[in-house]
Amino acid sequence: MSALAPILGDYRLSSAPATMPQPARQTKGVPGPENFEAIVDDYQRRLYGFALRMTGNREDAEEIVQDSFVRAYRALAKMDPQQRAELRLQPWLYTITLNVTRNRLRSKRPTNVALDSLADPDALLNETQEGPDQPEAIVDRAADMVLVEQALLQLPMHLRAAATLRFVEGRSHPEIAEILNQPIGTVKSHVHRAVRILRRILGPQVGRIVAPDNSTNQEED
Amino acid sequence: MRCCDVEKLWDDMRDALEPHRAAVIKHLRACPPCQELYEQYEGIAYCLTCLPPPEPPATLVPKIIEHIRSAVKATAPDSVAKIASPLGQLYVAFRETGITYVALDRGEGDEAEFQRIKARLGRSVVPSTAPAWVNETLNAFFRSHVSHLERVDISDLTPFEQATLRATATIPPGEVRSYGWVAATIGQPNAARAVGGVMARNPVPLLYPCHRVVDCEGRLHNYEYGIDVKARILELEGCRSYKR
Repeated sequence: MSALAPILGDYRLSSAPATMPQPARQTKGVPGPENFEAIVDDYQRRLYGFALRMTGNREDAEEIVQDSFVRAYRALAKMDPQQRAELRLQPWLYTITLNVTRNRLRSKRPTNVALDSLADPDALLNETQEGPDQPEAIVDRAADMVLVEQALLQLPMHLRAAATLRFVEGRSHPEIAEILNQPIGTVKSHVHRAVRILRRILGPQVGRIVAPDNSTNQEED
Repeated sequence: MRCCDVEKLWDDMRDALEPHRAAVIKHLRACPPCQELYEQYEGIAYCLTCLPPPEPPATLVPKIIEHIRSAVKATAPDSVAKIASPLGQLYVAFRETGITYVALDRGEGDEAEFQRIKARLGRSVVPSTAPAWVNETLNAFFRSHVSHLERVDISDLTPFEQATLRATATIPPGEVRSYGWVAATIGQPNAARAVGGVMARNPVPLLYPCHRVVDCEGRLHNYEYGIDVKARILELEGCRSYKR
C-alpha cells in the first residue's frame, strides 16, 4: 500500500465504517411547535451523541439534550413564519446544544486534566511523551475506542467541539463555522490543533491500532 | 511547497477540493516525514469517525417531550379575576394548581395592576372571571378567616419563603405573632429580618396571613397597603392585641 493512500482515498476512508454517522432524517415541512415531536425524534440521537462526546458523561448528555430541545421549542414558538422557513434546523440545533453544553461544563468543576489543558492548550502539544509505551500490544478494539474517547475529553472545549463536529459528526468546515459562529479559517486551525494534540496523547501508532488490516497491507507492500 | 505548509493542508486534502492538491501530493511523494505525519493524522481522523455512535436511552424521547410539556405549562399565563370583598375589590391570579397572587385594588387601574402581577409572577396574565373554587376560597377567608391552603400555589417561591409563609398560616385568626416568633418557628431564630422581607413580598396576602405578624413589641410595623388596612383586617378577625 502506498504511504500516500490515506489522502488519495484509501480503504480507511473510502470504505465508510458501519459506525459512520448517518445524516439525520430531515423533518418534513417548516419546523415549528406543531411538528416538534418529529424534530425531537429525528435529532435526539445525533444531539445526544454530540453532547456525550463533549461531556463524557451519559447523565449530563441526557440533561443537555433535554434542555436544548426545550430552548429550541421556546425559540421556535417565538419565531414568525418567515424566520421558521429560513431556519437551517440542523446547524441551529447543534449550536443550541453546544451552548447548553458550554454552560453546563462551565458550572461544573473541570477535571485536573481538562483544567490544565484549558489553562494552556499548547502544554499538551509540548509534552515529550509519545503516547502509550507499547501501542502494538493493544489489541482490544473496544479498549482502543475508550482511549480515543478519553483523549478527546482531554482537549480544551473549543478544540474538542471542532474535532467532534469535524470527524465524529462528519460536518464540513462551512457547517462547523456556522455552528460555532467562527470564521472558516479559525475552524480549520482549531481542527488542526486538535488533531496535533490527539496525536501527542494517543501516540503515532494510533491509526494502526484501530485499522486491523493495516499490518497486512503493509506486509503486501 | 514547504513541509509546514503541507501539514496545514492535511484536513483540506481530505475534502478533495484543495486547489494546491497536486503540489501537496508532489511534496508528499518526495518527503517521507510528511508522509508519516499524514498517515498519523489520518489515523486520528479514522479513530474519531470509528467512535461508536452512542445509543441514547429509550426513555430519552418521552423525557424530552415531558420536559417540554412541563416547561410550556410553567410559562402558561395565569388568569386574573376581580373579586369584591369587605376590604374592597381584589385582584386574584390563579392557574389550575391554585391561587398564585392576591392584591387589594390600589385604584391605579387594571393595566397598572396587571403589569404588577406580571412582573411579580414572571409570567403573562389574561383577564378572566373567577371560577367557583376561587370565589369560594376568598369568601371562606372573609367568612371564617380560615384559608384553604391546598388551593394556594406558592411553589414558585424559595424553600425559605415557603416555610416562612407556612409558619404564618399556623397563627390562629384573631391573634398576632412577632417576626422573631416566625423565624424561631422555622428553626432560624436569627432570621427575623429575612422573615420581614418575605412578608413584604408575600404574593398571596390574606390567604397566607402576613397581617398577623407584628414586631416584637406588638406594633403593626408595616404592611403593603398601609398599617390602617392591616389594622382593619385584624379587627375583622377580632384581634385587639396589637399596638399602633
